[in-house]
Amino acid sequence: MSGKYASDPTWASVEPIPLNDGSETGTLPLATIAYSDEYLEATSYLRAVMAANEMSDRALKLTDDVIAMNPAHYTVWHYRVKNLFALKKDLTEEFEWLNKMSLKYLKNYQIWHHRQVLMSSRENFPTLPPNELDFLMKMFKQDAKNYHVWTYRHWLVRHFRLWDEPREIQDVDLLLSQDVRNNSAWNHRFMLRFGPRSDEPDGGMPNSTAPPPEKGRLAVVDEDLVDAELEYAKAKVIKAPENRSPWGFARGVLRASGRPLSEWKDFAKKFVQDKVEDGKVVDVEVKSSHAVEWLADTYGEEGELATAEAVRMFTLLKEKYDPIRKNYWDYRIRMIAPATWSQEIPTSA
Amino acid sequence: MTEAVFQKERHIKYFLRCLKTFLPSLYTSNDSNRVLLAYFTVAGLDLLGELYNKTTSEERQGYVEWIYHCQVPSGGFRGFTGTDFGSERRTPENEAWDPANIPSTFFALVILLILGDDLSRVKRTECLQWLSKMQRENGSFGEVLGTEGKIEGGGDLRFCCFGAGTRYILRGKCGDGLEGIMDIDVDKLVAFIEACQAYDGGIGEGPFCESHSGHTYCAIGALTFLDRLSKNHKPIALLSPKTGPFESLVRWLVTRQTCELGDDEEESDEEDGHGVDEIGPLSATVEEPSLDTKVDQLPVVPPETEDSLRWAGFNGRCNKYADTCYSFWNTASLNMMNRLTLVDATRNRRYLLEKTQHIVGGFGKGVGEPPDLLHSYFGLVSLAFQGEPGLESVDPALCASQRAVRHLHSLPWWQETKR
Repeated sequence: MSGKYASDPTWASVEPIPLNDGSETGTLPLATIAYSDEYLEATSYLRAVMAANEMSDRALKLTDDVIAMNPAHYTVWHYRVKNLFALKKDLTEEFEWLNKMSLKYLKNYQIWHHRQVLMSSRENFPTLPPNELDFLMKMFKQDAKNYHVWTYRHWLVRHFRLWDEPREIQDVDLLLSQDVRNNSAWNHRFMLRFGPRSDEPDGGMPNSTAPPPEKGRLAVVDEDLVDAELEYAKAKVIKAPENRSPWGFARGVLRASGRPLSEWKDFAKKFVQDKVEDGKVVDVEVKSSHAVEWLADTYGEEGELATAEAVRMFTLLKEKYDPIRKNYWDYRIRMIAPATWSQEIPTSA
Repeated sequence: MTEAVFQKERHIKYFLRCLKTFLPSLYTSNDSNRVLLAYFTVAGLDLLGELYNKTTSEERQGYVEWIYHCQVPSGGFRGFTGTDFGSERRTPENEAWDPANIPSTFFALVILLILGDDLSRVKRTECLQWLSKMQRENGSFGEVLGTEGKIEGGGDLRFCCFGAGTRYILRGKCGDGLEGIMDIDVDKLVAFIEACQAYDGGIGEGPFCESHSGHTYCAIGALTFLDRLSKNHKPIALLSPKTGPFESLVRWLVTRQTCELGDDEEESDEEDGHGVDEIGPLSATVEEPSLDTKVDQLPVVPPETEDSLRWAGFNGRCNKYADTCYSFWNTASLNMMNRLTLVDATRNRRYLLEKTQHIVGGFGKGVGEPPDLLHSYFGLVSLAFQGEPGLESVDPALCASQRAVRHLHSLPWWQETKR
């Protein structure tokens, strides 16, 4: 091999370790890839420095090269971190490099995990670096729903205790004003408002380890905050009534505060209006299928007297507004009104 | 319209090409996932019923040898041979750079099972010992063991699932020959997974992360593996019908089925809300009359028609487009929850066969995209769940053919005859 490492005096002392895919020991390798010569050479040198446990500038540079070709390589990142700390490198430079990589490889786990590993160094980052959130917003310009970036931002909030920093909710508002369907932003909003602070147990919803119905319910409820969030969700529903995100958000808020779905019954009814002629309902005017679902659930919770209304709503969904989920709406009907089911609806495959 | 056709012969050709020729250099960025790619290839051919027809027993033995070549001396499997610098050079100081990897260990074991190997050369006790060292204090699992025994890698559900899967395969029904080998903390793992359920019923990468079908699959997969092995375990809410966690997850999963395929420019702004609205602090109190007026001004939703609903794939998160692999993640989760019949199988089939099945065989990620191994395999599995003729039936947790599962259950530590 006469690649760039073989001909570089910096690397003269290193004996590269070629890829051992087992061909010499009678294996038939699976998922063989047509590697470029550059990749084969760089990884041969990487194996050599790793075997020697070498911590050096040249090793660090080599990791740049390998990562550029294979950013999902799971040990090269750990090895890079080890080198950075062993050589006491300036992490500002590392972040500049990392930002470039992040904008280039949008969907990569390792990059964001690496960022988290570096940022968790209290010695280097006792407080949130000033440009960090700006960079995340730059990432969101490329893809406002990038899962890795949101997961990292979530971690950042918890690490630096940013729940009540005005910037967090401002950024969420901005992103939702740009795209009210950005479910990632809705989720972040929920976490900011209702996520556990400090050392309280962690969970995907408040009080997550408790058995139902306590699961999902806050121990202490700030009723004003709950009211404000519900109004916020209403305003966003009106902007796009078929957008599921704020309806789901409102469900979560109500559950967290221990309030019933019926609190939004009147609001939901505005989107589902019966057309009455001669005292009989002749048609229903629907402005949001999610409002129909909301009413179905609300009637379902009200007990037997409202069962017929719940079934009417589920039927509306299954026949007109959401027929893809016909089997699911039938399942819901079967759960609240087994009798109706067996009499009127034939079983389908 | 004519019914969609499953191009079995072309899929066989696609998977055979992946098995017997080099994958294009584009796959270099997936080099560290070679065991996963190998799994897709071998399991894909197996699902098509052709693994044993199109390969010789010598070839299959060669593949088995390669998988064992990926086994790390201290137990578990690496994800690719690229980190192997030779056992003669391996020391306690450098072994962290060539570690066993949690997902790869699971997939290596499944490949061995599909190929009919009896796992007799698997370092079973070492692997299970390593596994218990991979569990964090909060119950979750890491990806690899780093320097000074530190658990490295994100704390997400992928590692929980494949950790639980590895335990399932190697521990077996009776845990034979494992006296004195520390087990993982099952209760803690269950608690961690349950804590990842979000306010909308779905499950995210970690607590308070956005619900995501891939992570939901991992959560339900892990719980299913744990549940299958446990004898007197307290019931797990996420697997128990009629509980809040179970039913809200079912709702979230069926809601993932969507006609928004991302293949039509108009689709993205069909409604009112995609535009940028005025930026400014929203008043906390919206006046009631104006709210009514606003609703009055809204258009009526037109009922769906057969035309608008011909194809329905699945997305992985709320308000995202359909993608082939989510046809798998969602239906596999529902399958493990025994709720697969709640989806629209006909429209999912049409989506896969008319929109992402590729002319050269295999499946692409979205409409009109070139095929790749991951989407090709998951496209097949989603169809197999629905009973597509020409495909073997699949176990949704192990994600391999029932034949491979029967083989696993025939291994010595799965026999319950003792005692």
